[in-house]
Order: sequence, then C-alpha cells, then structure tokens
Amino acid sequence: MKKFILPVIFLAIPALLSAATGATQLEGSFKVGPSIILITILCLFVIVGIFFRAKDTTDFYAAGRGISRVGSGMAIASNWMSAASFLGMAALMYGAGYHGLAYVVGWTGGYVLLLILMAGQIRRYGKYTAADFIGDRYYSQSLRAIGAIIAILISISYCVGQFGGIGLMFKWVMGVSYGWSVVIGGTVVLAYTLISGMLGVTKNMQIQYVIIIISFIIPLFILTFKFDYFWLLPQIGYGAVVSDVVSGIPLAESQQLLNSFGHAYAMVPAPEYAMPFDPATGQTFYQWIAISFSLMVGTAGLPHVIQRFYVVPKASDARWSVVWGLFFICVLYWSAPAYAAFGKVLSANPEVGRLAKDAIVVYTAQLGNVHPLIVGLLAAGGVSAAFSTVSGLLVAGASAFAHDLYVKTINPDAPPKKQLLFARMGTILMAAIVTAIALAKLALIGQLVAVAFSLAGCTIFPLFLLGIWWSGSNKQGAVAGLIAGGAISTIALTYFIAGKMGATLPGHDFIAYWLGAWYFGIIGAPLAILVHIIVARMTPETPIEIRKFLIEKVHSQ
Amino acid sequence: MESPPNDYHISFFKPATEMARLNRNIVITLVIIWTVAIFGFQIALKVISKPTPEPAYLAFEQVWDQVSSGRASDVDLQVFAQTCLSVLGKNFIAPDHKTALDNGLSWSLSKLAGSERGTILGQDIAAFEKLKGEIENITDPAYVNARNELASAVAPVLGLSPGDVRTTLISIELNSSMMDALSSESREAIPAAMALYLIHPQSFLTDGRLFGFPFHYFYTAVFLLVLFVGLCWLYCVRADHRDRILGIEQ
Repeated sequence: MKKFILPVIFLAIPALLSAATGATQLEGSFKVGPSIILITILCLFVIVGIFFRAKDTTDFYAAGRGISRVGSGMAIASNWMSAASFLGMAALMYGAGYHGLAYVVGWTGGYVLLLILMAGQIRRYGKYTAADFIGDRYYSQSLRAIGAIIAILISISYCVGQFGGIGLMFKWVMGVSYGWSVVIGGTVVLAYTLISGMLGVTKNMQIQYVIIIISFIIPLFILTFKFDYFWLLPQIGYGAVVSDVVSGIPLAESQQLLNSFGHAYAMVPAPEYAMPFDPATGQTFYQWIAISFSLMVGTAGLPHVIQRFYVVPKASDARWSVVWGLFFICVLYWSAPAYAAFGKVLSANPEVGRLAKDAIVVYTAQLGNVHPLIVGLLAAGGVSAAFSTVSGLLVAGASAFAHDLYVKTINPDAPPKKQLLFARMGTILMAAIVTAIALAKLALIGQLVAVAFSLAGCTIFPLFLLGIWWSGSNKQGAVAGLIAGGAISTIALTYFIAGKMGATLPGHDFIAYWLGAWYFGIIGAPLAILVHIIVARMTPETPIEIRKFLIEKVHSQ
Repeated sequence: MESPPNDYHISFFKPATEMARLNRNIVITLVIIWTVAIFGFQIALKVISKPTPEPAYLAFEQVWDQVSSGRASDVDLQVFAQTCLSVLGKNFIAPDHKTALDNGLSWSLSKLAGSERGTILGQDIAAFEKLKGEIENITDPAYVNARNELASAVAPVLGLSPGDVRTTLISIELNSSMMDALSSESREAIPAAMALYLIHPQSFLTDGRLFGFPFHYFYTAVFLLVLFVGLCWLYCVRADHRDRILGIEQ
C-alpha cells in the first residue's frame, strides 16, 4: 500500500504548495490545489478498494463478518455521514435556524431506537439483507421481492441527495457545470464500488471516516481562533457565535475582523436564527416534531444501516458498534451547527448575495479567510462523505437486486459468479437512475435524503419492529401494513412531485403541510403499524416454526 | 435459559423468555427517558414561549401610524428608516417584503433630505447602482469607495451613528427608483413584515445562557446528542450484564 500512497503524496505536495493562492473565489473557476487534494483522496479510495476487494458473494454482501467493534462503529459512522450530514445539515440550519436541529436530533436519536429495539436481534436472526429478513420472517417470497424493491427505492432516494452533494462539490472544485459534476462523480463512485464490494467498502469507510472528520473539524478550529471564540473545543465555542447572532454584533466590537470580501464581522440582531419554531423561518412546531420523528423511525428502517449489523461477529458486537458509531457520528453533528452560525455572520452583509445553502460549509470557510488548501480539503471531505454513503447504498441496492430478487426469487441455483455479475449489473442500473434524478435538483440535499427516511419509516421499520417483537405479526398483517405505509408514501411523493412540476392537486396545501415529503413518516409509520396489528389479529396466526425461531434464536440466546 | 412455553407466543409486552423480559424492562426505561428528553422539552418550549418583540419592533410601532398617515416628523422618519434596515439586515427575507422595506427606506431618505438634497442623493444612488451593475467583483476599490462614500453621506440623514452596523447596509438597500412615494403595496406589506421578522417566541429557556449558548439551543444541539450516546452506552452495559446473568454465550 505504501508503495502507492507515498509517491502520490510526494508528487502532490509541491503542486499543492504552488497552487495555494491568496484569494479564494466563492464560485466559478478551476481550483488547482483543491482539485489535487480531491483526486489524491479518490485515488486512495480506489487503491484501498483494490487491496481489499470482494473475493466472493459473502465478501461482497457482508464483508466476511470480520470487522471489530470500533472498526464497525467507524464504518457505521462513515456509511452514515453522508453529504446530508456533511453539507446538508449546516445548510438546513443556515436557512431555517433552530428548525435545522430537528435533523440533527432525528438523525442521531434514531440510533437509540435502532439499538434498543433491533440491532442485537437482527444479528441473531442471521440474515444478510433486509429483504432476506422480511421474506423469512413473513414466510413469503412475494414479500421478499417487495422488500427488495423497497430497499432499492430507498437506496435510490438516498443516493439522489448524495449525488447532488457530489455535484456541488465537483462544481466548486473543478469549475465544471453541475450536470458534468454529477456525471463525473457518479462514474468514479460507481467504478470504486464495482471494484471493491463491501469488504473494500468497510476498510475504506474507516479511512473515509478519519478523512471526513479531520477535514470537517480543522476549519472550525481556525474559524473559532480567528474570530476570537473558545477555539480549543469549537463544538462548544460556537455557542457564543449563536448568542452573537441573536443579540447582533456591533461594528465597534468587530475590531477589524473581516470576511473575505472585506465586510466587518458584524450583523444586526437575528433572534429568528436560534428561537424555536420562529414564524420568520416559515417552519412550525408540527414540522419540527414530524421531521425528527420521521428521521428517527427511518433510521431504524434503512436497509443499508440495518445491513451493517450483519458484518459484526456477535450480537453484543452489533450493539457496541452502534455506540461507537453514534459517538463518531456525533463528533460531526456537534460540529455542523458551528458552520451554520459562522456562515450566518460572515454572509450577513447583503452584498454577499444569496449563497447556495448546500455549499454553505465550504462558503463559510472561504468567507472566513481559511487557507484555500484547507477549504479544498473540506470540499474533498464533503465528497468523501457522499462517496462513503453512496458505496454502501449501492452495495445494499445491489444485494437486494441480485440476492433477494434474482437468486431468492427467480433463480435459486444461480452460481456465485452469476450472482456477482447480477450484483454489479444492479449497481450500474441504480447509479444511472440516481444520476438522472440528481440532475433535476429537486430540493436541498438534507431534504432529499429525508424522503428516504420517511419511506423506510413507513415500510421497513414496521416490518422489523413487529417482526422481531411480536410473534402475532403475520404475512397478512405485513401486507396490509405495507399497503397502508405505501399508500401514505405514494400520496406524499405524488403531491411533492406534482408541486415541483407546477401542478396543483386537490387539497394541495393541506397534504403538502401534513404529509410533507421529508416527514410523511410521522403519519405513515404509526398508521402502518396499526393496520398491521389489526389485520394480523383478524387472520391466521404465524406458523409455529417462525414463532419457535423467534423465541429460541432471537429472544433466548 | 428457561424452557420456552409450548405455544411459542411472544410479544414485547408479554415476554415469553427471561431474556425478553429483562430486555423489555431496559427498553421501556430508556424509551421513556428518550421520549421525555426529546419531545417533552420541545413541547415545553412551545408551551411556555411568548411572542417577544425586538426593540426595533417597539420603535416601529411607535412611529408607524404617523408615517403611514403622512404626519411623521423627521425623527419619526429616521426611526422608521432605521427599523427598515433592522429587518433588511437579516439574511433571509421574502422578496416582496424586501421590496416593500427598500421602498420604505428610500422614500424616508427622500423625505428627510428635502427636495434639493434629495435630488442630489437620488443621483448619487443612481450612479452607485450603475457602478454596481458594471463591476465584476465587489472588492473592486472604486466600488468599495463609492459604497462607503454614499453610506457616509446618507447615515447622518437617517440619524445613524458611524458605529451602527446598519450603516453597512444603506448603500446596498437604497433604490433610486423607489424614492418618490411609499406605494400602497408597501404600506400594506411593511407592518406584516415587521411583525414577522421582529417578533420571536421566547422564554426563560431561550433567554438563559449556558457555555455561551442560548440554553435551549445547547440542550438540543449538544446535550441531547450526549444523552443519546449515554443511553446507548447504558443499554449495552445492561445488555452485557443481562447476558452474563442468563449465561448466554455468543
């Protein structure tokens, strides 16, 4: 490995130094230093992928179940810390203030549910994929196929936001158009996933986590130091920035601190940034609660998150990997609001203009006069975050396509080579679909990703929750619950897409508010659970083999 | 491990095995803490918060009747213009609100300056707008000088001291085509815009400070995440303890 990496580093350093320019433009031009950093990191990922490539289907799907607790925690964090976390969360807080914290709480609080309700039990159940679990637990090949299709839809929906993030960062770094950025970035991540599979992905994820977190935190140390806040722990130091935004920063106090455009570090009071459910943000209490709830139940139903518990050796490892994973995730989530707060002050002057919210992390570093190479590293970190998640999602989608749809439903005798071929075909197909949708730029990254969470919360979460914890949950109940959750999802997404296309359907405002595309899980998940329970109670009970398995394997050892 | 019952029925609320029973007890405890900590706090925030106006809103309320009826003194107009700037300095305001407030600001300046000086200032603003359209970079020295000179000329008319942060907004927000009159649309939109952007739901939870944060912000952005990690850690410790008691080997 060193033979490859060291020459790249030695070649890159002089180029980086010569590329460092004094002034950084917010948009537009090709940036040499950041480009070299980005390309170096991407090369590193591909090299790691080649060294740890999948040798057979077991490796491809579940990394040989040989990953340690901390390693698995890092992989969980890296897999989780997507463009939505790295770029999208700060964007949401920058735009809507306290409302954005609903995403922070939703995307972390869900792990508590996942751990206490599912992680150990899923590992004990001993399946490879979410659809595998659904097919076996509900003794139905049709439900397995539906589970696989839902897993693919969720993966696609999740990937769209990631490709959007990749597009924005490639656009910023390379100065090419958003469309080309999405196509180039998508091609690279596809190539990497095809080469490596999940074993390579898991190794890569540990490296990616380190790169993501370092690139994210270094600029924060610089910003807090530069603008005279408590810099030793920026995750706490930015609290004073939030209070400054609320009370305003007089010119006299800015003491010649300037942003990169020469504007003073000063602003009028903006309490709406921090006050809860402030009407000025256009967001309400219901929306805050609905978003955090939907993201939480969605977290416990996302196939690529659940799938990570199959790659640890024991149920206790599955549990502890969640603790480590959540801690590693929180390191980033404690930091992201700081970018939004600094961004708020540094872009306070109207001359800065309307910035693309999804790139506010990078813009904030630029406006704060952070060295261009460090800003470049930050952008590369954003791309890494998107890459690490996309690769996991594509593997989860490919697993659903090849393992659950093709092998388990269509051709059970397929040889391993053919299975792998189908997994790779599935990956390519998904990447093509995601690229096409990402080019449409439907919403903010965080919001696009939240759609996947609501979808998972309405469909997969009830099946897992009831399937694990209630032996009375049967096939008929599962089908009815899926229909209910699917119907809510369809209504919410139909109204969302119609709205984006300029059409107005009956009761548009009512549906758009109560079943918003990023939080319809608050209605869909409880409804699906309720329907599932009612129908299961009215229909023949679960076969004794399943009940026996639940008691003896899932809840007894 | 005890023998499972013959019918092999299990549910979260009626656990059929010792492991499931112990697990249920831990889960119920943690879910209660989790629910109260997240949703209980947000509900408390919602219930106890009261609409609290910024000082700028109180100032606006005092002068708006005079301004809208055309009976405003110079001081009233200055206060009105300053409150317009207090809202225009916020990052995100709706385009129609911005237009109305720009109109209010520009019209106030025209009224305060009088016809002769108002005409000169109008020409200066128009010249600055032309320059703004021509430059490629807002750090262009000629542009920066023009912007600062215009702000220096206008700030005293609006009663703003040089150290007031709102002076940095003046040149960008003034509009030469909006100086003649305060349109009826603006008259209608301005009170709504002021109420929307200058009144905030606040309480002792938002006014208190902890580690520099507004208390509620610290609670949600920092403490809740610490709590989540703590709950997960506690669950794992308890689950390992449970496994040891039950003699479960994995």
